[in-house]
Parts: sequence; C-alpha cells; structure tokens
Amino acid sequence: MELSTSEPTTARFDALYRATASDVFAYVMTLVRDRASAEDVTALTFERAYRRQASFDPGKGSQRAWLFGIARNAALDELRARKRTTALLADPEDPAAASDATADHDDDAAVRRATVRAALAQLSPRERELIALKFHAGLSNVEIAKVLGISAANAGTRVHRAVTRLRKACHAPS
Amino acid sequence: MRRRDALPDPEVDHGLRELEAALAGEPAADPQLTRLVADVRAAAPAPDPRFLASLDARVHAGFPREEDTPRRPSRRAALRARFLRPTLLAPSAAATLVAALVVVGIATSGGGDDRTDRGSASSSAAASSSDEAAKAGRTATMAPGAARDEAAPSTGPGARPAVRTQSAGTTAAAAVPMPTVPSTTPRKVQRAAELTLTPAPADVQDTADGVVRETQAAGGYVQTSSIRTREDGGTASFTLRIPSAKLDDTLASLSKLAHVGSLSQSSTDITAQTASAADRLSDARAERRALLQALGRATTDRQIASLKARLRDNRSEIARRQGALDAQRRRADLATVAVEIDSAGQAAAPKKGDGAWTPRDALHDAGRVLEVAGGVALIALAVLAPLAVLVGLAALAGRAVRRRRRESALDGAR
Repeated sequence: MELSTSEPTTARFDALYRATASDVFAYVMTLVRDRASAEDVTALTFERAYRRQASFDPGKGSQRAWLFGIARNAALDELRARKRTTALLADPEDPAAASDATADHDDDAAVRRATVRAALAQLSPRERELIALKFHAGLSNVEIAKVLGISAANAGTRVHRAVTRLRKACHAPS
Repeated sequence: MRRRDALPDPEVDHGLRELEAALAGEPAADPQLTRLVADVRAAAPAPDPRFLASLDARVHAGFPREEDTPRRPSRRAALRARFLRPTLLAPSAAATLVAALVVVGIATSGGGDDRTDRGSASSSAAASSSDEAAKAGRTATMAPGAARDEAAPSTGPGARPAVRTQSAGTTAAAAVPMPTVPSTTPRKVQRAAELTLTPAPADVQDTADGVVRETQAAGGYVQTSSIRTREDGGTASFTLRIPSAKLDDTLASLSKLAHVGSLSQSSTDITAQTASAADRLSDARAERRALLQALGRATTDRQIASLKARLRDNRSEIARRQGALDAQRRRADLATVAVEIDSAGQAAAPKKGDGAWTPRDALHDAGRVLEVAGGVALIALAVLAPLAVLVGLAALAGRAVRRRRRESALDGAR
C-alpha cells in the first residue's frame, strides 16, 4: 500500500502499520520461528520504522519494501543474538499452528495447511524467506530484490526455485 | 556465460508469470498453484490479538521513549556510543584544534617577509606618532644619570659617560648608573641626539625649514646644514646646537615635523674634564697673582723684565685655559643634535596620520583575517579529509561485515 506523502506523518505511518502488521509478523515468524521473538522483532521493526520515517526515500523503492528490509535486519539481528546466547537444538512448536491443526483435524483445508507447513519446514531458511516475502508480504520480485540486496533477475530466479521446491515438497509422500 | 542479474531463462520466466497470476487470483492461473498460494497464505502465522492490541497502543502513542525497552539495547548502538564517537570525534576535534593553534601561532609570530613587515610596522608604530617619539625623548631624559644628574652632586673625577639610545624598533638601553661619590661640584653632562625624519618626497623642503625654525625657537643654532632636493624627493642633514635644557622639547617639536624613522640619544658625563679645566685656570690665575706680587718686590731692571715676560706668557695661558673651560661648559650647555631628512624611507613607512583606522586599514585587516581563516580551513581540511576517507572506508567495511554476519545468521538457522 503506497501512501500519499502529503498526509500527516502519524496518519501515514498508521496506515502503513495497519496494512502490513500481520504480514510483517508472518514474515518475521518465518525467519525466527519463535512466536515470542517474532513479536519482539515485529514491535522493534515498527518502532524503527516509526523513528526512521524521515529516512525513507520513495525513489529507492516502495515503502513496503523499505519496511520489510527493516524487519529482515531486525530478524537477522535476533538470530545472531540467539546464536550468541543459546543454540536451539530444536525449533519450539508454534502453539497457534498446533491448535489450528487440532481444531480442524477433519477439515481438508486443515490437512492441506499442515502439508504446506511440513513442506515449508523442509525448505532452507533462505527459501522459506523467499516464500514469505512472496506469499505473505506480497512483494514483487523487484521489491524482494531490494529487501535482499540482490538483482531483480536473481530474485526472480530464486523465487521460482523456492516455489518449485515447495511444490515438490507438498507433493512428496509424507 | 550468463550474468547473475541477466533475465531469467524462459522456463523461469514462465513459472514466474504463472505464480504472479496465481497470486493475483486470475481465473486463468494454474489451479494447483492457486491452491498452493491459498494454502500457504492460510498457513501464514497470525499474530496474537493481545500482541496486536499492545502494538496498536504503542503505535498510537508514537512509541514513547520510556516504554522503549522491550529488548535490550542494540550491541552496535552501545559500541557506537562507547567507542566509535570518542575514537573518531575526539581525534578529529583534537587535530582541528592543533591545526588551528599552529596556524594561529604562525600568523601571530609571522614568517619570512611577514616578520620584516611586522618589524617595520612596529617600528613605524613606535616612531610614527610624534607624541610617542617626544614621550620617548622625555623618558630618556628622565632616566637616571642624565639631565637629572646635572643638578645632583658630582660623582667626582671618576664620572663615566652614560649612553642611552632610543630608536624606532628598538627599546631604550638601560642607562649606566653613575657612582654616587659625594662632591660639591655640579655635574656636567654632554647630551647628543640623532634624529631621522622621513617626510613625503614633496615635504622635504618644508621639513628642513621646520628644523631651522624649531632650532631658532629653542634658542639654539644650526651648526651645519646640507639640503638636496629632487623631483622625487630629497635629503637634508643638519647639525644643531640646542640648549640642553630645551633638548627634550625641541626633539618633541622636531618629531612632529615628519614621520620619525629613528631617534637616538646619548649623554656623557664631562664633570671631570670641566673640573680639570677649571683647576688649570685657577692655577694659572694663582700663578699670575704670585708673579704680580714678585713684580712688586722686584728691584732690578733685569728682574722686572723677566717677570713681565712671564706675566705675558701667563696671560696667554690664562686665556687658553679659560677657552678650554668655556668649551667644556658649552659642551654641557648645548646639546648636539644630528638631524637626517630622507624622503626615501617614506615608501616603506606609513604616511602621516596613519594613527587613524581607515577603511583601507579595515580592508587590509579583513583580507588578513580571511587569509588566516583560509589557512586554518586548509589545514583542517588536510587533516580531516584523510580522516573522513578512513571513516568512510571503515563505515563501508563495517556495513559489509554486518551484512555478512546477518546473512550468516540466516544460513545457520533451521
């Protein structure tokens, strides 16, 4: 969602926040894979974005790409800090996903979502990130390239490769 | 060989188009891919409503600083606060300060030609003002061992000359103190002065006339004079005899005639020579009295003739010794002043009336200030530019390292 720069700063940021809060959380959650950390990182992302509103340059890309760039850096910093403190032997289970699977056990859609989650878990972190940026954040290849700091063509190739792997993983026998 | 950022191959391109169509929900999109998109989106982790409510509140509050501690402070921020700023800003500030001090020091002490200019400027400043020159003359006069000593008790035959010199650009030398030997004879001091005037080329004749006028006004006389005038100026030299009592006032008056290039004064104690001449005269007069008494007692013609011849010789001796004593007294009563007038020195010296601060002076001063400021800026630039390049390179390197570390964190995650 592109916002008019003529709007007051608070109103513009509020609109951006409302349009992206869930997407940012989903993307960060994909990276850090821990709900508490994802909440912290999400909050930190919006706080940084709020304080750095003046540094946003529309000529360098969309506001959404700028925001997800901030989220990515914050998430990677969180991963680094986590690596310095405690090495996780296994990812904690997402209680929300577990309850979802339990509640809709008979539902076909729930089964498919569980399959997708399992397929995503087989992907590498970078592939999961690409899927999150493409599917959750809804960024274009150019915006993904901005977030990752790579070329648009490279971003497109990586996205295609990640989607291909995801599709294979979904159809692979469990 | 394909470049990394080249356009994707047709298969990738086709796959991306299908993906975009599925993401956009187009009816013509691959149904399997459309379902995958829907499933992935449905599987997206959703934020907890309580967390969203809390974040909403913080966003609406504008992320107040006091609540700004959900996480520990960034390690990079702490490092920057603790080390980066002091290590980079402090040397920068110190280097700038040192550079400024060096430039100010150079500007203050002057160098090369500046030093010469400054010397002549101070010389001019010391001597350009006629009042100051006159004051200098008075100061020299009031120094110990000079005119004041004329009325003081004589130091006796061992009196020494006291020479003081005051000239433009030099300070007055300390007067040699006279030995304070008690004596009843008033001290006799011979005084002399040398004055150089540097008038404008057109003012040489007027200045020379002024010298003669002031000399006569003081009751003195011009002993010798020489004046040469040309179209572009001229020179003149005078030897003046001025009553010692009026020397200071006369020097003050002469100094007002033109810019004073230099002024020096000296004084020599001639008490001993004067006393000696007086004693010799007294002896000659005593001898005359004895000869006259002997003449009164003489009885023979031969004795009378011999005494008269000796009296003639004695008269001559008395006259000669009287002349010598008068000469000594004149030396004390009349000071010798050598005045040189030279318009050639005018080019290097400021014109009369330069005591006032004119717009031209202001322009010169402003130029000097800009010159010094430019020097400071240049040196600061010379110090800070390499520093800025280093800081820039360090920032770039730090950014690259930070980026690599972040990426490695993602690679290490599962």
